[in-house]
Order: sequence, then structure tokens, then C-alpha cells
Amino acid sequence: MMNTVVAGITYRALLGRRRIVLLLLLPLALLGLALLLRLAGSADQRSAMLLMDKFAIGTMLPLLGLIAGTGVIAPEIDDGTIIHLMSKPISRPVIAQTKFLVAASLLAVFAAVPTYLAAWLLVGTEDGIASGFALGALVAGVAYAAVFLLLGVVTRHAVTVGIIYALVWESLVGGFVQGARKFSIQQWAQSIADQISTSPFLQADVTLGFAVPALVIATVAAVFLAGRRLRAYSLTGDE
Amino acid sequence: MSSEIYDIGYRHYDGPRLGPGHSTRALAVHSLRGVFGLGRTARSKIMPFSLAAVMLLPAIVSIAMMAMMGRRGMPYSGFAVFMQPVLAIFLASQAPTVVAPDLRFRVLPLYLSRPVTITQYVGAKVAAMTAAMSLLVAAPVTLIYVGELVIDLDGPPQTKEYLGALVTGLLLSLLLSSVGLAIASLTPRRGLGVASVIAVYLLSSASVPIVYSTLASTGNDAGARWAWLLNPFWLVDAVQVWLFGTTPNAEGEYPAGPYCGLVVVALIAVGLAALALRYRKAASR
Repeated sequence: MMNTVVAGITYRALLGRRRIVLLLLLPLALLGLALLLRLAGSADQRSAMLLMDKFAIGTMLPLLGLIAGTGVIAPEIDDGTIIHLMSKPISRPVIAQTKFLVAASLLAVFAAVPTYLAAWLLVGTEDGIASGFALGALVAGVAYAAVFLLLGVVTRHAVTVGIIYALVWESLVGGFVQGARKFSIQQWAQSIADQISTSPFLQADVTLGFAVPALVIATVAAVFLAGRRLRAYSLTGDE
Repeated sequence: MSSEIYDIGYRHYDGPRLGPGHSTRALAVHSLRGVFGLGRTARSKIMPFSLAAVMLLPAIVSIAMMAMMGRRGMPYSGFAVFMQPVLAIFLASQAPTVVAPDLRFRVLPLYLSRPVTITQYVGAKVAAMTAAMSLLVAAPVTLIYVGELVIDLDGPPQTKEYLGALVTGLLLSLLLSSVGLAIASLTPRRGLGVASVIAVYLLSSASVPIVYSTLASTGNDAGARWAWLLNPFWLVDAVQVWLFGTTPNAEGEYPAGPYCGLVVVALIAVGLAALALRYRKAASR
């Protein structure tokens, strides 16, 4: 269900330009902070949890999801070069699925792997913290890729809308309102991390029984809707 | 007159020539209108105006608190710090609309073929973004102040605090605009520009608690204070504490004020220099 040529073009567009600086900047900052914590001699579970919760899952993951998820399709729509892709005899849902797979694979490399490394730098393999957060970041990264891909197809303000979702809904509203946390990809990642890790510092707010179906439904529905939206797409001029 | 060389009989312009000051001002006003989407499609007005409306919400809550409960809500000095996510989103979403189209459609040589220099062009763009951002801070703060005057609380009105918040808002806007525009001008693509600006803000703000708690837990309190300055909003708040003697809006103290002021000035200078270099390169293409 994917087209290798489309995937190749998308990889080149994302990795060949300055965008790769952004993709690298965030994981490098995470590793830098982990190193700083280690050098300052506070490499314990509490600070590892702070770094994972606030920085890796709370900041880096949604930002990378935004850059990769919208980056695979929004610039092409902005330029109008998507018309060359859409006029080829490739099914539109396959285009959407291919772009989704590219974004998801980039998030695995640039988000999940550095998350594991940063946690490993601080606490090693203690209590399954590193593997728990890495798996959480991986699964949530896949969901972010799908949701932000859909946003990129639906609106021209995809990046801004995505930031508002991640910053205002997940961080601010989720910080005050208990119910809002149920509809937050970050919290689903925490539930998965909590399932694997046995650390007493980690407390997930959303049960695994809700998080896993929610992750699957959000991912599948977003990719499906993005494909449908591309099937009847009308190109509009730039503002 | 040079027109004599090849005069094919078109009518000459004989109106007043207004000079470079007017062209800079026209460019600034045009950019300022662009920030709020005025003169553009309805779709591009949605985002700036809804963010501006969100900025007004705490002001309305504050006035309601003063009117019904007779006590102050948010202090003037803490308004920008409290609303920093909204200001950061506004900066990220609108800074690329100021710089990206000209770079993307490569019209910079057209501008520079007129009597507009790179300095004037950059100055106009920064002035427009600064005006937009400080409008976003000043409007709700002024609304609260007017509410305070009308409701007539016990004690004298906090005029000094209010004026201090306005001046600090202007300084904050200048800092955010010069750095934000410099980052946004690195790419001609709008989406990528939005992502880069917000990424830099989130990197700085998310690393503050981590750096602070690390340094504080090792007993290095003097070093931990410097962690606040990683975030531009707390950095400018530190300057406000120094200049106007307000209470800090962070938990704990800031480093000595003059150093914070120096950091702000240095950051603004770096932002402006980066912009000037970027446009010098873009103009030669």
C-alpha cells in the first residue's frame, strides 16, 4: 500500500533541505539536556522523569510530529506542485498512506531513538523507563504523523492549528482540566510508557484500555480521511 | 534630464516626490496590515484576530473581578508573562507572513531598485511586527487600566505599574520581533517558518524548568537564577523588575538587572544583524 517513488521524493524533500536542521535540532537539544543533567550529577529517576515528561514527550514529540507530519505534504500543496503528483495514475489514498509512512518513519528515527538514548544516559535500563518512553514516543509519533498529515491536507494554517492543539489543548487545558487529558496524544504515550516501566515516579492519567484503542482509531481515521480528502481536492491560489 | 535620451511622448510624473522616509513608512504600514491580514483574504484574518481576541479575555475577567469582587485580578507587570503561549503563537504564525512572500517570489530586487535600502526595508519590517506585537500587549493592559479608573477601587490607580507594563511590552515586542523575523526569514516557506519560530520558543521555555531544577538541586542557586533568562518573556520581566521595581513573575529571583538589560540589547542586535545579512544575500540573487 505504498509507492516507493513517492516515498523517495518525500524523503528527499524533507531531508535534503534546511528542514533537516530543525529535525536534528530538537533531538540534539534533548540529548544535550540529558548530558547536562548527567554532568551536574543529578542523573536519577526523578530528573529523568522530568526530562521525559516535560521535554521529550511534552515538547519535542509534538514539534517533530508537526514538522514531519505537515512537512510531507503541506509545502507541495503551498507550491502547487502537488498537482504533478495527483495527475499521475496513483491512487490518492495510496499517496496519503505513503506520505504517512514516511512521516512515521522519520519520527521513529528522530524522536523515539533519541528518547531512548536520553533516558538511557540518565538511568540506564533501570525500571524499563528508557524502553517505556521510547515505545510511547514511537506509538504517539505515529499518531501525531497521521493527525498532522490530515491537518496539512485540510487547512493552509496546518502548522499554527497543530501548535495550538499541542500547546494550548494538550499542555495548558490538559494541565487544568482532567477530562481534556483523555483526548491528548501525549497522555496516551504516557499510558504506554507507564505500562512498560515499573518506576514509581510515573503516573499515567489515562488507562491503557482507553489509550490503545484511541491511538489506533486516531491514526487509522486520520490517514483514511486524508486519503478521502485528497480524492476530491481542489487547488486554490495562494493568499 | 535623463528622460530626454529616449522620450517617446508619455506623460511625465510631475507630482510631489515624498522621499525615502515616506517609502519606509508606506512599507511598514503595508507590513503591519499584512500581519493582521487586512487587505488580504478573510481566511488570513481568522488567525491573527482570534489570537488577539484571546489576549483580551483575561482583561475582561480582570475587569469583572474588580467590578464584582472589588479586588485586582492579574497584575499589569505579569500580563505578558502569563499570556506568553498566545504571544508566542502569534509571533510564530504571523512573522513568516511579513518576510516569507517577498523572499519566496523574489521581489526584493524590485524593492531595492527604488530608493529603499536594505536597512530601511529591514527597519520597516521589524517596526511593523513590533507594532503588532506591542498592540497585542498594550490593548488588554489599557483595557484593564480604563476599567480600574472607571470602577474606582480603593487606593490610588496603579498608573506607574501600567506605564511600566507598556514600556516593557514595547521592549518585549522589539526583542521577539527582531529574533522571530530573523528566524522566519531563513526560509521562504511559511509552514517551515512557523515551525522554526515556535520550535526555538518551546526549546527555550521547556529547558528552563529542567536547567533550573538541576542547578538548584546541586546547591548552585546563583547559577540557577540565570536559567530564567533562557526564556525571552522572563528575560524581559527581569528587566522590568530592574527598571520599575515590580515583583518578579517567576518563582525565585532574577540575576542583577543590568546584566539582563545587556542580554536583551545583545539579542536584539544579533537579530537585527542576522536580518540585515540575510537580506543582503537575498538581494544579490
